[in-house]
Amino acid sequence: MNEAQINQQDRRGGRKLLAFPQWLTSEHPFPWLFPATAMLVVFGIYPVLYSLWLSFFKRNPATRVEKFQPSWNWSKLIEDDRVWDAVVVTLTYTSVALVIQLALGMLIALLLDSDRRGYGVLRALMTLPLVVPPAVTGMMFLLMYDGSFGVISHVLYDLGIISPNAPLLATGSTALMSVIIVDVWQWTPFMVLIMLAGLRALPKDPFEAAAIDGATDIQAFFRLTLPMMSKIIALAVLIRGIDLFRIYDYVKVMTDSGPGTATETLTAYTGTVYFKSADFPYASTVAIFTLLTVLIIANVFIKVFKVRF
Amino acid sequence: MESSRFSIFARYVLSIVIVALFVFPIAWFALTSIKPISAIFDKDGVVVFDFVPTYENYRVTLFGQQSIDVSENSRSDFGTSGGNSYDGRGSIISSLIVAIGSTILATGIGILAAYGLSRLRFRGSQGMLHWILSQRFLPPIAIIIPMVFIFRDLGLRDTHLGLIIAHTLINVPIAVLLMKSFIDDIPRDIDEAAMIDGATRLQVFWKVIMPMAKGGMAATAVLCFIFSWTEFLLSLFLTSSIRTIPVKITTFVTSTGSEWGYISALGTSAIIPGFIFILLVQNHLVRGLTMGAIKD
Repeated sequence: MNEAQINQQDRRGGRKLLAFPQWLTSEHPFPWLFPATAMLVVFGIYPVLYSLWLSFFKRNPATRVEKFQPSWNWSKLIEDDRVWDAVVVTLTYTSVALVIQLALGMLIALLLDSDRRGYGVLRALMTLPLVVPPAVTGMMFLLMYDGSFGVISHVLYDLGIISPNAPLLATGSTALMSVIIVDVWQWTPFMVLIMLAGLRALPKDPFEAAAIDGATDIQAFFRLTLPMMSKIIALAVLIRGIDLFRIYDYVKVMTDSGPGTATETLTAYTGTVYFKSADFPYASTVAIFTLLTVLIIANVFIKVFKVRF
Repeated sequence: MESSRFSIFARYVLSIVIVALFVFPIAWFALTSIKPISAIFDKDGVVVFDFVPTYENYRVTLFGQQSIDVSENSRSDFGTSGGNSYDGRGSIISSLIVAIGSTILATGIGILAAYGLSRLRFRGSQGMLHWILSQRFLPPIAIIIPMVFIFRDLGLRDTHLGLIIAHTLINVPIAVLLMKSFIDDIPRDIDEAAMIDGATRLQVFWKVIMPMAKGGMAATAVLCFIFSWTEFLLSLFLTSSIRTIPVKITTFVTSTGSEWGYISALGTSAIIPGFIFILLVQNHLVRGLTMGAIKD
């Protein structure tokens, strides 16, 4: 290699540096956003499309052969009573838990919104349920609900509210509510935190004016506090509602969808199809159906209540 | 309303009672973990506290020692191969590896994307933001079945790396949105001043934005850690021998009975890191839980 060639190579290298594509420089959004986008596309979007694709295959349980037959799983889904039972359970679970969490969250936030000594500690303690792994929460309540030595069951027996012959989680009429209570315990603090942030951000003047005009606290709450916090409340309902709709952990750990299918939510049913009958295409169909339902409900909610992030 | 001494007192009492109700299940669980087996299963003395505290449950779950109780030994041979199947050490290590790994990945990826979305003007940035947000609301069940197949093909199934990727996927949208809200708080003038002085964007990011967003990064990392640490569904589907604590703990429930002593010991231990962390980020908690939508 003579000097001229080396020079030429150097120059070419130099030109390459100059010709460094614009979209690879830090001025362009591409390098900044590429890792996040790649992650979300490869492990987020692609599996969703894969799920959708799977749902078009009919699986023969005996031969384990999957055949392309687009309408098979979807017509099965429409005729499957367990899916519609699961829809009812999921919607009941979501709405009951949401209403209780919202109301309790607001009341507790109003109660704890004080600058007096000690309230800071109480507010901090209130956040503790949020960090308990939901599977562990399920265990915690499974222990307390236990028919023979559970503390909650024990107290309820003594008060005569339930009978020892009908254990909370094994009785169709109480099982769902018992699981909802677990959700309420874990996630009411989430609402409390958001409501507290909302209460703290309220301007003082309107309340002083209302007090001068002789408004009671209750009037001030309904006429001022609630309307001024409507945006925050809508946001909290959206975030919590979507998480509630995909509930799985408590159901799986505590009742495994039982007794019968009394606590079988959509996600739990998908899990059952996946683990017990290994019908992956049908499990995918139920999963995609769940996704579509969430998308529709969430988007209607966002439009109606004009939620903005 | 706050004027009379009585109402102040009544409010204190009510507040303490309600907070106590929310702390009670954790306290009861922790109490169960130091009870001997005879006291846990005593149906006549459920709320009576006459037992001798024992470390037995922690000895078995955290240090992997054999249970003293011989009758327990004969029952403890299900699931994992050999040794003491109530040994929680493996699951603690798995949980730590996965949580730390996915926290680092998600925070790193998140801060890059957050800077791009916060500082660079480009077409479709708003759409991009909404798309990332919508990923946060994706039900894990919709991706988990293909993910099992994809991971199997890539050899990622039942590996720490696979679970790290899965948890990163869950955490990336949160990390991006949260970090963006923190970077948005830093005035643009600072970037521009630095760039007028001849700094490139990368230098601005590294030398100006990163140090100023340290607090936000810490809060983001803590939340990512907690989400990974508590995650159940993905871990359940994607692993079989590597078990994180939430999955491991459910294996203590068997058809022959539940080992409440071990469950409560490992469960109580699993709650502690979260407690410490959440107290560190109290100030950013609301912002974190709403992905930056509500600033505190």
